[in-house]
Amino acid sequence: MADVLLAARGVSVRFGGLIAVDGVDLEVSERELIGIIGPNGAGKTTLFHTLSGLVRPTAGRLSVRGRDLTGRPPHVFAAHGVARTFQTPRVFREMTAEANVRFGLEFAGRRRAHPHDAFDDARSILAFLGLAEVASVPAGALTPARQRLLEIGMAFGARPDVLLLDEVAAGLTERELETTAQLIRRVRDELGVAVVWIEHAVRALMGVVERVLVLHQGRKIADGSPALVARDRAVIEAYLGGEEPPA
Amino acid sequence: MSAARAVVATGAAALVLAAAPWLLSDFLLSLTVACLMYAGLAVSWAMFSGPTHYLSLATAAFFGLGAYVTAWGVATLPWALCVAGGGLVAAVFAALVGAAVLHLRGAYFAVLTFGLGELVRHAITYFEKSYFRTVGRVLTKTPDATTVYLTVLGVAAAAVAVAAVVRASRLGLALRGIGGDEERAQTLGVSTRRMKIAGFALSAFFAGAMGAAVAVRWTYIDPPAVFNPFIGLQTVLIAMVGGAATLGGPLASAVVFSLFTEFLRLRFPYAFLLVLGTLLIVLVLYLPGGLASLVERRRPAAAAGGAARGAGGPTRG
Repeated sequence: MADVLLAARGVSVRFGGLIAVDGVDLEVSERELIGIIGPNGAGKTTLFHTLSGLVRPTAGRLSVRGRDLTGRPPHVFAAHGVARTFQTPRVFREMTAEANVRFGLEFAGRRRAHPHDAFDDARSILAFLGLAEVASVPAGALTPARQRLLEIGMAFGARPDVLLLDEVAAGLTERELETTAQLIRRVRDELGVAVVWIEHAVRALMGVVERVLVLHQGRKIADGSPALVARDRAVIEAYLGGEEPPA
Repeated sequence: MSAARAVVATGAAALVLAAAPWLLSDFLLSLTVACLMYAGLAVSWAMFSGPTHYLSLATAAFFGLGAYVTAWGVATLPWALCVAGGGLVAAVFAALVGAAVLHLRGAYFAVLTFGLGELVRHAITYFEKSYFRTVGRVLTKTPDATTVYLTVLGVAAAAVAVAAVVRASRLGLALRGIGGDEERAQTLGVSTRRMKIAGFALSAFFAGAMGAAVAVRWTYIDPPAVFNPFIGLQTVLIAMVGGAATLGGPLASAVVFSLFTEFLRLRFPYAFLLVLGTLLIVLVLYLPGGLASLVERRRPAAAAGGAARGAGGPTRG
């Protein structure tokens, strides 16, 4: 078993009376490719917020490579190799695409060595993502699909060991979805980065990941290989009360 | 312009301007001091508030603190120490206050920093009353006009040079990231809290040093004069009209504004605030990126212009 990079133990998040995340355990090991699915409001994004330090868990512990980071601010998570994207692209609209990628390299990525050349500089990151020709375009002027890719590029700038992708494929066409799924596979295979991927497009996700976590009403109801999870009774019930998970 | 070139240009300009006391009349010299004072204040304000969009109204507080350091120390301390001390006191104060209020944004931050000026003003009034049994101070031992002019020039030039260096530094990049999307900057490794405090304190340093340098021009100092909210507001307006996201904008605007204010005050002593106010409303409404955005728009690189245009507007906190 490879080293555990990121671990959440019994993590809960309460907003007033609402329990958004309820005692979730998650271990991400080196080079793992994990998917997280679940109906709307299942707590997927809130879980990501805790894993990246944006939301402090009400209960439970978080650690990165065995170091307890519970309650630390987001830049500490980034400095320890956890990078993320956001559902709606949060690029620096006034900066060029290249400057957006360079941002992470200047801060979280600055002291983080990474063996792969693709992480050397902003240009090579943009090239990996197929964004080389828009390097000097302001991020705000890019198409939504390219802004989503740039989000990933910004996270690459942080030279992460674990990449948290929050619905990077939302709103993409069938073909773009396929390309994105391939890209995510390459991130793990070629760059050796562990990936945790939240997506609504369940079919595309199931085809790529090796392990799926299913969240429902804040609780983890399944955790296993896609084939196993797809046959899980609790999962099928969570999705449309008995029908097959929608793609 | 690269940071190194901007610093060299600033140094050269300062050397030329240093000849003014021997060339200009007293009236023109005092007009130049007013220009330099607002140039230093506006540039130092824009150093922090420009990139972050945190609308600070604390300039009067920093300026007044600096002025009081001079009021207390000018008779006993060396002049340079008064000015540096004024800057340091303001910077330390900004760091302490910043640690407490820099998590607030938008109107909350603006109102709080405005209240800060009032708070310090009342604190100093109370302090002076209870320990020195006075409300104001007459400054008797002050440096001559040439020394004061050269000091104001030095502080203004230092503010511009430091602003240029900050823009090109990681601090400047972090501040722009904070202005763009603070949470995003955090997730990319920026300790936003530390960077904001550093930027705020650095900006306060020059406002405090300017207060310390300028204070001796008034022979009588009391809290209402040096914690004058008008100084703070004028600084913010100058920077915004010039284009807070740029370096040259606030600088040029400070010169134009100071001359224009003086002209209006002499020609239309009653209507000048009306004219000034109307002009500001028009500029903020129709040129939110400041006058600098006019220059940017003409540049051939459409991309660069587009990038700069949105950045200079009034706070979007």
